[in-house]
Amino acid sequence: MGNIMSVSFAPECTEKKTKYDDCFNKWYTEKFLKGTSMENECTQLWDDYITCVNAALANHQIKPSLDKAREDQPFSHEEISGSDKK
Amino acid sequence: MVQVFKNNFNYDHDFKVVSLAYLNRYPNPYAKHVLSIDTIENFIDNDGNLHITKLMVKTGRLPSFIKPFLGSNLNSWIIEKTIINPHTSKLVTYSANIDHRRFIKVEEYITYRKLSDGVTNVNNKVLFSSNFIGFKQRIEEWSRNKFTSNIEKSKDGLSYVMNELKKLKT
Repeated sequence: MGNIMSVSFAPECTEKKTKYDDCFNKWYTEKFLKGTSMENECTQLWDDYITCVNAALANHQIKPSLDKAREDQPFSHEEISGSDKK
Repeated sequence: MVQVFKNNFNYDHDFKVVSLAYLNRYPNPYAKHVLSIDTIENFIDNDGNLHITKLMVKTGRLPSFIKPFLGSNLNSWIIEKTIINPHTSKLVTYSANIDHRRFIKVEEYITYRKLSDGVTNVNNKVLFSSNFIGFKQRIEEWSRNKFTSNIEKSKDGLSYVMNELKKLKT
């Protein structure tokens, strides 16, 4: 994919990230968009990757602000699934 | 006064190519300021929409009038929340900086939607707001101008990734 050089903020997670991204991209185009899969099939790779990222974030100074920002819900239900506005 | 930037245009590519390129847009030769990108959340809701949260680190230069306060270079953490509806071929995404919000908060909303086979519409809105006493308006204007002058780079970056994806397919 186009993200060969894409790296994680935590260098020790980059390899896990690359494996997950490759799996995700394949699943996204070949199954999810075609409506043949409602479940992300990269769970094992995801678990490895997110465990690494969460460990790196745990004591990071950005963690409190990140947790706060994650709570934002910028889109309404209509914007996601309903008809287009404007 | 919060500064606002709006833009609307079409890409001559399928929604599939545009949305995949969006999710994989960094790194590209037009976005050297992006240092890292991680996915921190990923799930499908009861309506079948895919939710993805990403975390990015970008580096940027600050305007000279603000250097006495914050120095000349700084990294910024960005959160990006994306929701993709596969039935309507629509992607909505929101991104905002997490830190340095007293200096400037930049919030970007983008909607990508399928117009027809091979054509995808892009609609975006960006809000710039600062709480930096004494410099609020200058900072908001500087940030908006910088964003506006970089918009072509962003488009070139996404086009570059789309062409790379097409090459892979053939």
